Amino acid sequence: MWLLATLVAFVVAWWVPQQEQSVHAAEQTYTFGTDTTFSPFAFTNKQNQSVGIDIDLLNAIAKREGFKIEWKQLGFDGAVQALQAKQIDAVAAGMSITDERKKTFLFSHPYYKSGTYMAVKDTSIKSLKDLKGKKVAVKTGTTAADYANSMKKKYGFSVVTFDSDDNMYQDVLTGNTVACFEDKPVMQYAIANGVKLKLASDFKEPDAGTYGFAFQKSEGELVKKVNAGLKALKANGQYAKIVAKYVGNGSQKSQAKQTAKQTESDRSFFGLLRANAGTLTSGLGKTLELTVVGIVCATIVGILVGLLGVLPNKFAQGAANTFIYVFRGLPLMVLALFIYTGVPTLIGTKVPAFIAGIITLTLNEGAYTAAFVKGGIKAVDVGQMEAARSLGLTWGKTMKRVVLPQGIRIMIPSFINQFIITLKDTSILSVIGLLELTQTGKIIVARNMEGFKIWTMVALIYVIIITLLTWLSNWVQKKVRA
Amino acid sequence: MTTTTRVQMKDVHKRYGDNEVIKGVDLTVQDNEVVVMIGPSGAGKSTVLRMINGLETTTSGDVVVDGENIAQSGVDMNKVRQNIGMVFQHFNLFPNMSVLQNITLAPTELGLMSKEQAEKEARDMLEIVGLTDKIDAMPAQLSGGQKQRVAIARALAMHPDTMLFDEPTSALDPEMVGDVLGVMRKLAKEGMTMVIVTHEMGFAKEVADRVIFFGDGQILEQGTPDQIFNHPTHDRLQTFLKQVLEA
Repeated sequence: MWLLATLVAFVVAWWVPQQEQSVHAAEQTYTFGTDTTFSPFAFTNKQNQSVGIDIDLLNAIAKREGFKIEWKQLGFDGAVQALQAKQIDAVAAGMSITDERKKTFLFSHPYYKSGTYMAVKDTSIKSLKDLKGKKVAVKTGTTAADYANSMKKKYGFSVVTFDSDDNMYQDVLTGNTVACFEDKPVMQYAIANGVKLKLASDFKEPDAGTYGFAFQKSEGELVKKVNAGLKALKANGQYAKIVAKYVGNGSQKSQAKQTAKQTESDRSFFGLLRANAGTLTSGLGKTLELTVVGIVCATIVGILVGLLGVLPNKFAQGAANTFIYVFRGLPLMVLALFIYTGVPTLIGTKVPAFIAGIITLTLNEGAYTAAFVKGGIKAVDVGQMEAARSLGLTWGKTMKRVVLPQGIRIMIPSFINQFIITLKDTSILSVIGLLELTQTGKIIVARNMEGFKIWTMVALIYVIIITLLTWLSNWVQKKVRA
Repeated sequence: MTTTTRVQMKDVHKRYGDNEVIKGVDLTVQDNEVVVMIGPSGAGKSTVLRMINGLETTTSGDVVVDGENIAQSGVDMNKVRQNIGMVFQHFNLFPNMSVLQNITLAPTELGLMSKEQAEKEARDMLEIVGLTDKIDAMPAQLSGGQKQRVAIARALAMHPDTMLFDEPTSALDPEMVGDVLGVMRKLAKEGMTMVIVTHEMGFAKEVADRVIFFGDGQILEQGTPDQIFNHPTHDRLQTFLKQVLEA
């Protein structure tokens, strides 16, 4: 139990200062979650700033209405979950207003009319009629996906779901699916970025849905301010300016021209590397931060739980085994989502993403560490324990002086292995919106659609870091063995 | 002169579920006495020996060591064990420590001696077992017989009143056995209280004050070496001796 208490104390120490910051700000500050990959509504530009129609609109509204916005780049799913878990105050991420969502959230007045459109690679496919017996791609949770699913029976096609636009386009390009559905400006943005798709020529746009900003039910006052601000921006022409900045007059050609301003001009490997070096470096920094803090915490917890597991006491062993069983059994991603979006609903207070990430790593990697610490100790000949105890040494002194020094030698390769796994596992934490290396990659790809080159860079960075970590570990291992 | 009772076991049983491995053992060891336990494998000799320093638990009965009934809870086993040396079949030297560190670990950790005292003690004990030149060696550099002699020196450094030997020569090459038995003989001569489990019948005959024959978790017969080896009465003992001496 004191183990858990230590963990909680650690957590609180981190997050109390952060809490105070947001509460005692002079102007009222609200935390808005946003998508990082939903261009042109919410994405990051080549300077790594959150931009897009949603972002610019809200920043203008906030300035007018006298409040401040703290942006959290969480991704669409992450933002919706964080809002549900009351981790943030609102979401601005091109969210369609639906009856279903209205049950959970408050919505602002609609700020954009979106139209679902169909894009194809093979231009002989012109409309829904040409899809009979074929497969189409959609992105999970979009109005376009709902639309495709509502039409599939009538037109006899089947639907494949992806979790990002990039993957959806890629599937059509490789020919697994013949068409994809997405909001028109989003698709035009991708096409403007060189995705080799075309808007279907005879597609009839369905009744347009509307986008709204979503708020927690308790934020009625804020919604009023936002609505008032939106009205004013529409009246004074600023709204039109912002939309035009991203989509031009709405045609493919015009949007392409606007898009070019937001993204990289040099699309060669080194050109992209140069343009994104800063972003990737900051992602790498976050990855290393997570890895180092994660390894330290997981190692401490793992050793303590592992020792608990070899104590000559049934309850201690039971507790250790349960810890290992539960946290080794849970997929890291489930654990991360549970801690970040599940636990706050339960305890009624926010858990910052970084803390949630560290707790996730600590529990999961800690469980693996505990398992091999326990195993390493048990691998030491039982005669060592008997001989030391026979001399009158206590269990604790025997452990410290005789068994552990031998067990640690057995454990060293497992520790090195676990460090490398921890580094790689930080990439899974991108699901809770942590801007680590993998999330950075996703964001860049969402902007420039250069999946192959960007993921190659990200992969190379991981390989280099893991190689360095392996060298360091081997060096330490040699020192210890000597 | 009155003799002190070092060990007194009364009606000791040990069960694993339905399987009873020790079926009511009574055993007394007096100060300065050398008791040798013999018998076939699985008869319970090692189990009973290990009960004397609490490495094995008992299901029922009393095990009184130096006046403390260690079969009951609430006894400071660490204190009791400081007074009983134990030598194992597989030596169990600490491979991560030198010979010197193996010997000085317990006396210094337990605060019984300063580092200097413990080192002097280690030298004296190594002298007894004839291995002063190996003081800085690591266990991996020693032969089996040398390891066992270091293990004896390690136990002696605690100045125990009683020494337990659990088949101390069974894991040794034949040519190493003599050195180890030589050290034990010397200890016996100096009056050390010893309880020994062994298959070395010649040695038992020579040093034992009393020989105990175990069979099937019980003491079947005990007496002087002359009684046990020359005039055995229990037929299981007779069969056992015949098998051992013919081998």
